[in-house]
Amino acid sequence: MKIGVLIKQVPGSEASLRILPDHSWIDESTLEFEMNESDSYALEEALQIVEREGDGEVVAISMGPEPRTTKVLREALAKGAHRAIHIVESPPYEIDPLLVGHIIKNAIAEEHFDLLFSGLQSNDLSQGQTGLVVGELLGMNTATLVMATEMQDDHIRVKRELEGRWFQWVTIPLPAVLTIQSGINQPRYPSLKGIMGAKKKEIRIVPKETVLPEVEKTQSFGSIYIPQKEKKTVMIEGDATTVVQKLVDVFKHEIKIL
Amino acid sequence: MLSGVEKILFLLLTLASLGGAFFTFRTMFRLIARGQEPLDWSRIPGRLGTGLMVFLTQKTLFRTRPIVGFLHALVAWGFTLYMLVNVIDVLEGLVTGFQFLPHHWLGALYRVFVDVFSVLVLVGVAFFLIRRFVTGDLRLLTENRVLMEPATRQGIRTDSMIVGVFILLHVGFRLIGASFDVAQQGGDLYQPAATFLGKAWCGFTPGMLETGRHVGWWGALGLILAFIPYFPYSKHAHLFMGPLNHMVSPDADSPAALPALDFEQEDVEQFGTGRLNDLSQKQLLDAYACIMCNRCQDQCPAYTTGKQLSPSAIEINKRYYLKQHGKDWMSTGNIPDEKLTQWMVSEEAAWSCTTCAFCVEVCPVGNTPLLDILTTRQDLVMMESDFPQDAMEVFNKLETYGNPWGLSSRDREKWMEGLEVPLFREKKSAEYLYWVGCAGAYDSRGKDISRAMVTILKQAGVDFAVLGTEETCTGDSARRIGNEYLFQMLAAQNRETLEKYSFQTIITQCPHCFSTLKNDYARLGMHFDVLHHTQFIARLIDQGSLSLSDRDLQAVTFHDPCYLGRHNREFNAPREVLNRLVATESAVREMPRNRSRSYCCGAGGGNMWYEINRGQRINQARFLEAAETGAETVVTACNFCLLMMEDAMKVTNHEDRMRVRDLAELVADRLQA
Repeated sequence: MKIGVLIKQVPGSEASLRILPDHSWIDESTLEFEMNESDSYALEEALQIVEREGDGEVVAISMGPEPRTTKVLREALAKGAHRAIHIVESPPYEIDPLLVGHIIKNAIAEEHFDLLFSGLQSNDLSQGQTGLVVGELLGMNTATLVMATEMQDDHIRVKRELEGRWFQWVTIPLPAVLTIQSGINQPRYPSLKGIMGAKKKEIRIVPKETVLPEVEKTQSFGSIYIPQKEKKTVMIEGDATTVVQKLVDVFKHEIKIL
Repeated sequence: MLSGVEKILFLLLTLASLGGAFFTFRTMFRLIARGQEPLDWSRIPGRLGTGLMVFLTQKTLFRTRPIVGFLHALVAWGFTLYMLVNVIDVLEGLVTGFQFLPHHWLGALYRVFVDVFSVLVLVGVAFFLIRRFVTGDLRLLTENRVLMEPATRQGIRTDSMIVGVFILLHVGFRLIGASFDVAQQGGDLYQPAATFLGKAWCGFTPGMLETGRHVGWWGALGLILAFIPYFPYSKHAHLFMGPLNHMVSPDADSPAALPALDFEQEDVEQFGTGRLNDLSQKQLLDAYACIMCNRCQDQCPAYTTGKQLSPSAIEINKRYYLKQHGKDWMSTGNIPDEKLTQWMVSEEAAWSCTTCAFCVEVCPVGNTPLLDILTTRQDLVMMESDFPQDAMEVFNKLETYGNPWGLSSRDREKWMEGLEVPLFREKKSAEYLYWVGCAGAYDSRGKDISRAMVTILKQAGVDFAVLGTEETCTGDSARRIGNEYLFQMLAAQNRETLEKYSFQTIITQCPHCFSTLKNDYARLGMHFDVLHHTQFIARLIDQGSLSLSDRDLQAVTFHDPCYLGRHNREFNAPREVLNRLVATESAVREMPRNRSRSYCCGAGGGNMWYEINRGQRINQARFLEAAETGAETVVTACNFCLLMMEDAMKVTNHEDRMRVRDLAELVADRLQA
């Protein structure tokens, strides 16, 4: 059983965020980064499956700059991942999930994972795309919002969270990609043995430039800003037909929701 | 006195006794020697006086329970005297016609002394036996919620019974022997008790009297011979091991400041204590020194509020475990597979400890059950990764943000907005480094104290600066919870920062920062001159650097923070400052448990960050004690104590008539512009 886990480093939930003067991104210079919450559950699930199966390998994969990416990967190794892959990226960071998916695919395609986990979504951008996109690009079966897993020979049975406190059990053949929901397990704290051992474990370095895909960017940031509060009332007057007409006009052209 | 046959028999029995004692004592010391980290025997010559004084003055007995302590002193002194008496008795038995200065006043004095002391020892021991077996003093029992094998519980009783009955019979036989002797002589003015008892033998033939004298002699000395090899098996071993423990123990600064672990050594497989063989020699010696008096338990904040922890149970459990498994461990080298948490201290009990060090403070024989807890926590955290979930969150927060609140390090300077606090990154050098601490920077009440401190420092014209965002948690909580690795990481970070700047003295408002910077960092080779803010403020007042308005404070009580008081022996400075603020001296109302006997607020040892859901809340127990003094203001000198006391004040509905203040706040209130 070979399981890859996609792990992102995100600003800590209590970090105080400031926006760069040019509004291109947040100021990361003195920000504390940590392992994305649902990714830590994904890692724990992978470790538990390998422990239950009694055999296998867990590979932690992360894309980002030094030193925060190494810190997060060392943490994963300390918790029990066997080795790690670091796709080294320098600013400006890629935020387009399709491109990120392609880069990760290129970097890990040769690994031929039986299972690939990611957290449900990242705590910073919350797009919830990366795991799915990589799965799709690698031609693997995918299941999202996973709340429990059960290995069954060459299948995996998963409990998916639906809306309104409904759940669904699905059995999918391997290889498969799962995006893991927070709360599925109890992530461990690394033992000292783990921390010491992690220093000797391999982190394979993959410069992003070497795995860039030939794909067009589909998304980019326009401007980052803190939501502005604004109170604005427009009185629309006239008979019913005129009011409706004007209202539709506002919806279509001013606030663009139609 | 003895016949030839008796003399030969006595010599043979003496040889057998000494031979047996040699083997049993050797076994005991070999068991201790199997422990890790050798005892420092080289301290003994320098500490002989200490050991002797502990033994002779019995002073460590009077720290608590003074009456029982006095009775113990009578037994101990009587017993010591009896060793000399035994020598003279042996001489009288072996050397025909020998008597100890029969016609000299010294001999008379000796006889009076022995006679009276015999009775006192009998009374003392009878008291102890009645207390343990008849009236049943609760303090001698350990509640069933505490992990302890039924066999161990029974063992304590048996052990006490054997020792008690031994003393009773030994001294009793001696007195009976003397009474026959006196009866033979027709009474002795200098042995009133023996004479009184001797009246019972009137009508005995001289032959019967002589036989009685022999029976008494053999009863007294035969018992000694029988008991000597048994010593190491009985809790009477405390007689040697107690003073020995005082002589070989490390020099005490803060008892919670363990030696630093060396993570660079790659061959070390175990950190902390997980199993019997991980215990240090000192930890094994403690087990033999323990007399099971439970003084440590009397005021343990965990035990007295109904938690699973009893410090004495730790020592007692070790003792009986060694009794059961020691020989096999020693002869085969087989390490018992059970974890310490299965027989020495339960996990929950280990987490219940607030590291207040009361147990260490009062132990008459110098035991340190606190160390057993701390090293067991190290194993649970670093080897087993098994600890309260909330503690894990604290670790994560410390790792990511450098403070246990998990707030951004960027916000560390928010409290000083509008105050113009000098920063080291701008100033580079100052006489005093004011260490604000995480509570002082993030907690709303802590910030009040920090602001008060800045007011005081500025008015006194002190040349100081703070580290601001460069400061990181000292690692106190991490270390006490058992995460030595994280502690050293944080300490290394602080070392880097502190080495950049030039300063002479560190001032802290948090006793935990204070003790960690002062004692724990010293274990890592970082030596700083550190003052707690109460010490510094006392100094400023002494020097006349602060101009305080009229004394007006009414009805206050001072709660000693454990890490200022017991851990660092500062009891006076806060009281001196307080005395300058109160209207009259009688306004300071001491709680029954104060100074070195102070009772913990419940937050120490990492307990600030996780809950033990069992029994009463420690902070409430302490707050009610403060309320009972009639004080309106509970004064303390620790961020954690302040939070715990305030919380208890609200929960116990005292908010309308009482308040909790830090000493610095009170001083700042009274500063005249």
